[in-house]
Amino acid sequence: MKTKLLPAVLLVALCAGCSSMGVEPWDRDVLAREDMQLVTDPLEAATDDHIYFSKEASSGGRGFGGGGCGCN
Amino acid sequence: MADVGVTKMTKSHRKNDRSVSATLAAATCALLGTGASAPVDAQEEPKWDFNTSFLYYGEDENRVQDASLKSIIRRLFADDKSLSIGVTVDTLTGATPSGAIRQDVAQTFTRPSGNAAYSVPAGELPLDDTFKDTRVALTANWTQPAGEKGLLSVGMSASKEYDYLHTGLNANYAHDFNNRNTTLSAGIAVARDSIEPVGGAPTPFTPMLDVGDVSNRNGDQDKDVLDVIFGVSQVISRDLVMQVNYSYSMSDGYLNNPYKVLSLVDGVTGDTLPRTTPLPPDGGPSGQFLFEGRPDERTQHSLYTQAKYNMNGKVLDVSYRYMTDDWEIDSHTMDVRYRWPIGAGSYLEPHLRFYTQSEAEFYRLSLDSSQPLPQFASSDYRLGNFDAITAGLKYGWKTRNGNDMSLRVEWYTQSGTVPAGQLIGNQAGRDNYPDLNALIVQFSYRFSQ
Amino acid sequence: MSGPAGRECQIVATEHGWAGRFRAMGSPCEVLLESGTRNQAASITSAVAAEAWRIEDKFSRYLKGNIVDQINTANGASVKVDDETANLLDFAATLYKLSDGRFDITSGVLREVWTFDGGDHIPDPSSVEAVLSRVGWSRVQWARPVLTLEPGMEIDFGGIGKEYAVDLCVAHIRDSQSGPGLVNFGGDLAISGPPMRRRAWKVAVEGTLPDAADHLIDLRQGALATSGDARRFLCRDGVRYSHILDPGTGWPVPDAPASVTVAADTCTQAGMTSTLAMLEGLGAEKFLAQQDMLHWCRR
Repeated sequence: MKTKLLPAVLLVALCAGCSSMGVEPWDRDVLAREDMQLVTDPLEAATDDHIYFSKEASSGGRGFGGGGCGCN
Repeated sequence: MADVGVTKMTKSHRKNDRSVSATLAAATCALLGTGASAPVDAQEEPKWDFNTSFLYYGEDENRVQDASLKSIIRRLFADDKSLSIGVTVDTLTGATPSGAIRQDVAQTFTRPSGNAAYSVPAGELPLDDTFKDTRVALTANWTQPAGEKGLLSVGMSASKEYDYLHTGLNANYAHDFNNRNTTLSAGIAVARDSIEPVGGAPTPFTPMLDVGDVSNRNGDQDKDVLDVIFGVSQVISRDLVMQVNYSYSMSDGYLNNPYKVLSLVDGVTGDTLPRTTPLPPDGGPSGQFLFEGRPDERTQHSLYTQAKYNMNGKVLDVSYRYMTDDWEIDSHTMDVRYRWPIGAGSYLEPHLRFYTQSEAEFYRLSLDSSQPLPQFASSDYRLGNFDAITAGLKYGWKTRNGNDMSLRVEWYTQSGTVPAGQLIGNQAGRDNYPDLNALIVQFSYRFSQ
Repeated sequence: MSGPAGRECQIVATEHGWAGRFRAMGSPCEVLLESGTRNQAASITSAVAAEAWRIEDKFSRYLKGNIVDQINTANGASVKVDDETANLLDFAATLYKLSDGRFDITSGVLREVWTFDGGDHIPDPSSVEAVLSRVGWSRVQWARPVLTLEPGMEIDFGGIGKEYAVDLCVAHIRDSQSGPGLVNFGGDLAISGPPMRRRAWKVAVEGTLPDAADHLIDLRQGALATSGDARRFLCRDGVRYSHILDPGTGWPVPDAPASVTVAADTCTQAGMTSTLAMLEGLGAEKFLAQQDMLHWCRR
């Protein structure tokens, strides 16, 4: 599909620009906080992933879920 | 305890309630000649971490209700290794749309088992309430560092309900670059699922038969799923981190919903064709309904991006996902959360999610009997054209022992549209799309020791 | 930990970076660094050690000629002190008030009658009374920058010096912008910030119950300090006398815990809080709970 190329290009561009961005190690205090993690509440995330997998046609994005189900 | 007899009484008396730490902090500032120091962040490393939640999910109008207990137990070992075991138990009750359309007359249908029939009053959306089920799911995950900058994770997952078995394996590797500012990750998951429909999987496009007749059934079916994900997460500034993930998913095998049918309708009136033979004593369908049929392969691509932004203690979490597949479904998801700390250890987190998807190429509201049958067709509302909104609020707090509790209440609503060209005759005047409204309540408790 | 004797520094590679070791203030000291070259680690360790030795030399009660010696041998005369000494005296004055007189830097002379060597020699009350007459911050005239002690009185910065040194050294590492570091002077430690490669610095605190496993602490910001020492006590007739002396009575604080460890924003705060807790004796746990700081109390 033609859209398959675009994400790959975006990823590469992001990586190329990444090497100059960021913070020094002593500035990581905010980033170390629990509420600044990309997935703050894994239980809530897993629950939502499952609800929306059962009720919509799309799934995932963040990572893998716990697997399929026969949800109707 | 030591004998206090040899000591004299002390001269001074204690003040009983005071916080010495504030005065000490100020005195220390003066001594060290610096401004206020960053607040201490020290936590006794827990060996065990228990995270449990109780979920209630309830759709209105007698549709699906789910009460679920979920628990993730994590054991931390030396050197940053950990084992995580998750158990989920769901009890489902309630009814789900069968795929048949409303009629102005009462209808009867044969249950998926083929052993009984049920009826639907005139004007109502046909719902099949056969699904009283309990599902048990298990996940296990082992994580350990790989070298100085890598993290490796391997896991398995399995779930069982009366008509479905899932088994899967997954692995993920993440590597840090640029002083841990950039992380690249790659993951893969494979699954083999078995579908064991009650009564056996029906042959697509064969009609719903009378009670006791399972001649069009084919027993159990399988499907395989492969998921691959690549991601980049990047620290942008002290207050901002972002990630971008690309995922690819390939499903192969039995992808039909074995219980869903489409109404076979008259090409002019759009009404369901009545049965051609008299209704037998044990019961059967009042009209002509054909079991759905989907392709046996589906390829999905998703692009997901998320940003977490700290604004003076408050955190904004925004994410967007685009999905497209070879069933011609496109979807957009936009999710916004705002965590607002209040008091010591408590927070309020409003949440808003917007979702929109376009219908699958083979989505049909009903099958036109005056036209040749398509190769694939399904009236499953989950493959249709709809918008959905979730709006919720979460409140979190710390117990006296410093453990986390939270309660969230959310409202999820879906409203769909039948593609204009698909409405035939009398269908145009009816409310055809099974819109969904659900309440989600989740209480969680997390403690470590 | 073993390390160099005298005034030399030793640099070793560790699993997570570098460790610079030296001896100061009667304790083994180490500086842990994650990043940089061996030479950079050596240069930071030298700077930290130099600062530790400077503070030790300036405020040690054993060295002749330094400011503390001048104060303690003034025999009633007024002594003008520099800013750094004045800051420490102001701090000591605040702590004297904060502790209702239990933290008193003039109580050092009590060591003339008390020797905490694990033995059973308890001084007789009259000799304690005699030394007690030379104790009492309330009798000191402190009008910054001039300090006047009564003849026979002495000041001792032993209860503040080590933690103060740790905080100054950690500030130096922070200012040098050389990556996150941990400064540990014999168990009193502080970090300049969270580590680069792991979520937190891992510090082990001795288990509080007999035979209990160590507590592993994830430290991402702040400091840890411990008061108390299992070897410094006296035991007679089944009664254990801790080395924490009450300056009001001249006797050990009854029912003081064997050790108290506290986590706080700075090493000075952690050290003072643990000392104040020890001085509360039986009330140590209650006092610590009121401060809302992570702590471990061993009896």
